[in-house]
Formats: sequence, C-alpha cells, structure tokens
Amino acid sequence: MTRYKRQDPEITRRKFINVAMGTTAAVGGVSLLSTLGAANPVFRLTADKMPPLEGDILVHAEESKEGRPITVADLSTQLVRAWAMGKDEDGNDVIRKGDPNNILALYRFPQGQLVAPTNLEATVDGQIVAYSDICTHAGCSVSDSDINAGQMRCPCHSGEYDPKRGAIVTGGPPPKPLAQLPIRQDGDRLVVAGFFLTPPYPYHNSEAEWNNVKQEVEEALT
Amino acid sequence: MNQWLDDRLHISRLNDKFLRKAFPVHHSFFLGEITLFSLIILILTGILLALSYEPSNSMVVNSFDPGTADAPNLVPAAYHSALKINAAPFGDMLRRIHHWTANIMVAASVIHMMRIYFTGAFKKPREINWWIGMLLLIFAALTAVTGYVLPYDNYAYNTLKVIYSIAASIPWVGEWVAQAAFAGKFPGDGVIPRVYGYHIMLLPGILLALTAAHMLIMIKQKHTQPQYAKRIAYKKIVGVPLMTQQTPIMLMLTLLFAGIIVLFSAFIPVHPVEYFGPPSTTPIDNIKPDWYLLWVFGVLAIIPGFEFNFLGGNINSEFVGAILLPTLTLGAMFAVPMLDRSRENLYYAENPTNHPVRLGIGVAFMMLLAVWSVAGYKPELISAGILTTENANTVLWIATFLVPALSYFFVQAVVRGIRALRESDARDRANFQAADD
Ligand code: FES
Repeated sequence: MTRYKRQDPEITRRKFINVAMGTTAAVGGVSLLSTLGAANPVFRLTADKMPPLEGDILVHAEESKEGRPITVADLSTQLVRAWAMGKDEDGNDVIRKGDPNNILALYRFPQGQLVAPTNLEATVDGQIVAYSDICTHAGCSVSDSDINAGQMRCPCHSGEYDPKRGAIVTGGPPPKPLAQLPIRQDGDRLVVAGFFLTPPYPYHNSEAEWNNVKQEVEEALT
Repeated sequence: MNQWLDDRLHISRLNDKFLRKAFPVHHSFFLGEITLFSLIILILTGILLALSYEPSNSMVVNSFDPGTADAPNLVPAAYHSALKINAAPFGDMLRRIHHWTANIMVAASVIHMMRIYFTGAFKKPREINWWIGMLLLIFAALTAVTGYVLPYDNYAYNTLKVIYSIAASIPWVGEWVAQAAFAGKFPGDGVIPRVYGYHIMLLPGILLALTAAHMLIMIKQKHTQPQYAKRIAYKKIVGVPLMTQQTPIMLMLTLLFAGIIVLFSAFIPVHPVEYFGPPSTTPIDNIKPDWYLLWVFGVLAIIPGFEFNFLGGNINSEFVGAILLPTLTLGAMFAVPMLDRSRENLYYAENPTNHPVRLGIGVAFMMLLAVWSVAGYKPELISAGILTTENANTVLWIATFLVPALSYFFVQAVVRGIRALRESDARDRANFQAADD
C-alpha cells in the first residue's frame, strides 16, 4: 500500500483562518496588557507625603491634640505618637501624614536606661528617643505591650520590640528593628535632626530604595 | 401555554436533561446546596448594600458629627456611607445578614470538601470538579477579604495595610504588584474604588462562572452514589428527581437556613464600624482575620523573623508565612486527586474507614490547620498565662509537628478497632448461620 499525502502548494483556508485568528488574539492580548499600566497610578511626592525632615517640629498625633507641639513634659516611658510638621512650598505648616507610614513613637526614659544599640547621639540627652512607629513586618502601628511591661508589641502578628535597646526585635516575625529618627531639643520643642538612621518601613527591605527616596526629597526641596 | 413554550424552548428536553436529575438521599449531600444558597443570599443582600454604599475614600464632612466650621470633622466617604447604612431602617441588619451568610458559605464549603475528601468523591472522573471547588474556596476567601475593607473604618484600614504589605512582600515584583492591585502606594487615593470593583464585579463574576461550571459538571457526571444504592440497584442511579421531589426539600432547607441566618444576625452584631472609628494611626488591639484565614495569621505569629537576599529579590518571613506556606498548603489540597491511582470510575461513596491512610492524613491535615489557628491566639494565650513570651513559639512549633502526627496514629488505632469489631461481628454471624444449618 502506498501512502499518498497530498502536497498542497497553496496555504489552506483553514490554516489561513487559524493564523489570522491567532495574530488577532495575540495583538489584542498585548494591547489589553498595556491597560494594566494604567492600573498603577503615578506617585507625586508632595510635602505632606515626605518622610520627617531635618528641622521639622514634632507634634502630637493623637486626635484630640493633633498638631500641638510636643514638649518634654508630655513624654514618659509610655509611648507617645507623633507626626513631623514641616512647611509646604508656600511656607504653610503641613503635617506630614499624607503617608501614614510617617507616624513616630516617642519615649523618655530616666538617664542611663537607654542603651546600645540605640544611637545615643541621635537622642536628646540619652533620654528621649524617636522611632518609626510602623512595624517592620507588615506595617501596623506598634503599641506599648500589654503583656510585657516596658516592651512594645505589634497588635497584628505579635511582633515585639525593646524601645530601650534601639527597638530591636524581641519576639515575633518582624525582620528588623524599628528605624530610629535623630532628634534634638530646641527650646521646649523637639526638632527632627535628619533622616531615619536606617531605612524605615516600607523601605526596610532595601537600602537603595530608601536612598532614592532621600535623594528625591532633596531634589524636590531645592 | 405549555405546548407553546415547549415548541419554542424545548422545555421537555430541559426537563429530561436537568429537571429530572436524581439527587442522592443523604443529609451530607446538602452541604453543597447550602453553599449555593448562601451565594444567592450574598448576591441579593450585596446588591441592596451596594445601592447605598459610596465607594470612595475621599474625605467628606461627617453628617452625624460635623464638627465646627473651621475644624470640620472629616471622614472617608466610604466610612460615612457605612454609618448611613447602619442608621437606615434594617441597614445594620442587612450588613449582618451579608456577613453571617459569608461565614456560613465558607463553613459549608469547607465541610462539603471534607465530605468529598473522606468519601473519595474526588476520584476519577471528578478530579476537575475538585479543582474547581478549590478555586471556588480560594476566590470566596478573596471576596470575603475585599469585603472587610469596604466599610473603611480603622479595622478595615489596618487590614488593608497588612494585605498591601503581604502583596508587597513578594520578591522582585511585590511593590509593583501591590501598587497595581491597590491603586498606588498605600493608601492610594483610589484604593476603595479599586477594591469595590473587585468585591462587587470581578470576584462575584468569577464565583458565579465557577459555580456554573461546578454544577454543570456535577450534573453531567452525576453525584457519587451513597453505599445503600449499591444494595438497592447495582450500578444504577438511585435518588429523588430534582422536579418535584428534591425541590420542596431544597426549599425547606433554604427557608430553615435563611431563618437561622436571620436569627444569628438579629442577636450577634458584626463589625461595629462606629466602635472602630475612621482610619487612624491608633492601632487596634488583637486584630484578627476571620476563622478561615486564622491559620495564615497563626503562621505569621510564630514564624521567626528573618530575611535574606536571593538573586536580588528579598525573601522575608512575611512572604514565607503569608504567601509561600499557604500556597504549599493549598497546593497539597490541589494535588489530592493526583495522588489517587485508581483507573476505574468511582460510582459509590467510599466508607472512610476502608481507607485509613487517606482518613488519617485528612485528619492530620485538619489538625495542623487547627494548631496554626490556635497560634493565631498567641497574644491571648500569653496574657492568659498559658504560655510565656519565651516559650510560646517553641511550644507552638512542637505542636505543629506533634499534634498532626499523633492524630494520624490515633486515627489508625481507631480504624483498627472498628475493623476488629466488624470482623468479629461477621464471624458471629457466620457462626450463627452455621449453627442454623
Ligand atoms: S505587622 Fe507587626 S508583627 Fe506583623
């Protein structure tokens, strides 16, 4: 028996239609994909979204007192939440809460209790210390621990930090200590003395990204 | 009129094909139906809620507590509309019904899956429906999670924050994925409209399509038959037809079930938006996901913090705990039909004790999830003095391995006991018969 296979010199109709449909589907698919780009809006770095900057005043974040400058007398070994307040382009006061990750935690401990790895240079007299209050795990606000006095506890997945030792992780899943913010005293006000010493949440994964942010901020300011 | 319709729509064919579908008579076969009814109630109440909900996180003046002219009390519009829904007649009730039905839907589908697993109903030819069922479960959970976010109170806000950062923890692409999914950096200006779109359009659409496929395949392949069917008529379909016998049963079940939900909703409040207040930086103590996601939460609570760099991607405990481990767990569930080697089509629901290994593994798996869910209560366990901060993780990790292993062997022992009893019964019966002769 001979096998005869018909050799068609021309392209068959079926093949033509298949190829045409395939091309259409591919082009259509790719063009649909391009709409995905629009899913991710552009980000504009406005004054209220910048991280705490050198010269900003620390103000209360608690609703009833929001915007009032924090004095030394307001602070204790209990956490006090704060925002940094700076100026916008027109010179008006602006609280930098456009990015909720800018929330800060302030403590004042009796002399000698704050120890390494806290950066004592960046505290006020080795007594007042400021941290980012955003848990380095998944970004919840950290509170005073209700279980272990003197510790901080993140309510989301029980991350624990020690505010006297540079907010190192003492329990739970957080990968890194809270970022410390350098501060100084100016009269009875507390003033930010520079950028966070380590990348704060949400940049805690990459030094490079945090450096980009710092650069971006500096460019926007000049 | 029947004739007129039949000439056009061929109702009699529909009747033969679908309406006469035989339903096995056994209470465990109602679980899937309950899931379906829940979906219907959810869609109906969801539509009503959507009519009064404002999907926007721009700030508006709180009409219930406007503040003063120079210091107006601004709250997100979505939160404000949730307050308004609560204030409307039956509004709070509507939210409660929606909430409880969602919980019951997940519960019913989980028990439904357990029935399928333990009776071997996932075997050939029903593997595809097991996989569709898994997808239904996953998408149901996603729908529920996006639903939490919508009232946009402080609780929802904190939940959203965690979801965002879980998405962002994916190595390499995380930040982009999170921003694309939630309309920009957290909390983007468009995050509520985006999540709203997911919750009322995309996800319900997927759920409906999957449900339709699930049921069509089920009708095509027929239910597995309960064991008694083997004795009555071997290899024949035994059961009551949808029209007219099963329908009244279904209706009764629906009414009973709707009654229970309304009763629940009348007495058990859910998610009091007024109590949590609008989004703020005050964290919420002991925030927890619903019970069906508690195991993921538990894993996150006991996983030690770590991170390392892998080919330029950042792999941290959050990614491993909230994405990798759950993916593996769900993957194991997906793989269930592939571990089965039988070539024959399965007609009859199997007796779980005839498959002790499968039974044992199933129970062990459930115990594992139970242990992880308990781990979700770690802070409570510590403050109750049952565990201490120092030993909590160790104890919970030991339990993670020990409890499933022990329950596996326990199941084997029980099965052996049951078999021994059954065999001695059979011996007795044989002896009796011998004596009779
Ligand atoms: S977000 Fe703080 S422990 Fe998870």
